[in-house]
Amino acid sequence: MSTHLATLVLVPEQSLLTDEVRALIGSETPAGTVQVTPRGWRHAVEVYTGRVPAETPAPGESVSGYAIAALETENGGTSRIPDLMPNSLLIANQWEFERPLRMGETLTASSRIVDITERFGGRFGYSIDFRTESVYRDATGAVVARGGITMTQYDVRDARSEEGAG
Amino acid sequence: MTVDSSSIHEGDELPLLHIQPSLGMVIRFCALQWTFPVFFYDADAARAAGLPGTIVPGPLKVGLLYRAVDEWLGGAGWVRQVRAAHRRPDPTNSPIDIAGRVARVYEEGGKRRADLELAIINQEGQPSVRGFAVVEFH
Repeated sequence: MSTHLATLVLVPEQSLLTDEVRALIGSETPAGTVQVTPRGWRHAVEVYTGRVPAETPAPGESVSGYAIAALETENGGTSRIPDLMPNSLLIANQWEFERPLRMGETLTASSRIVDITERFGGRFGYSIDFRTESVYRDATGAVVARGGITMTQYDVRDARSEEGAG
Repeated sequence: MTVDSSSIHEGDELPLLHIQPSLGMVIRFCALQWTFPVFFYDADAARAAGLPGTIVPGPLKVGLLYRAVDEWLGGAGWVRQVRAAHRRPDPTNSPIDIAGRVARVYEEGGKRRADLELAIINQEGQPSVRGFAVVEFH
């Protein structure tokens, strides 16, 4: 089999980005409320630092951004990504804060699929990237924080390497 | 230790943060998120997915970048943004180093800020994650 033919057979005959899939771009999940809780903050600090915090910040006090990871538990932001390919990996993610999170505050969360793109012949062979964003707003509607991820879906049989991240 | 924001310059390096993310840390992270992809804790499932074994979750690694920056700041400021581009999987129980460098120091909105370039370096000396952060000083 020639190299060119070998490449061609890795690409599906029809794009998996159907109109139905593209329609997911921009759609938001119903908003839910989340809270920066002492328990969630403590657990997050333990996970990321390996230390058990001696004291819990007082209500209204600034807390480290680790707490956003506990907020995401409530949101389930990426649950609506359709399974178009058998394998998936995280390739990028980010946390962004307009101000520090505060102990005890309640935020309104929403998430949406920002973009869906397909790639031909990359390190994963034919693959589809999903970029999603979760947004957390305070009681006035001001954005406090954002969390973003980019996932790639691929077929491990077509991947050229184990690169990616998890 | 708290960094002195007035003496920070482009090119300054953050102290290396040496970590060995254990399977226990990964499982606690999964519990925090209440999401349990099997390849994070089952080596056979990980290999079936084309991975070298169980790996450190990407979302955990962005938090470790945050930790490196937060510990460097030591209360002198706060982290506005941290980003991670994942290049290679990091197997659980393998040591990693988190390195950082001040790329730019500037004023914005009346506040002193700095952009940081970050990387997670694996045992082979290869970057498994390229990262970026923005900090704001008090």
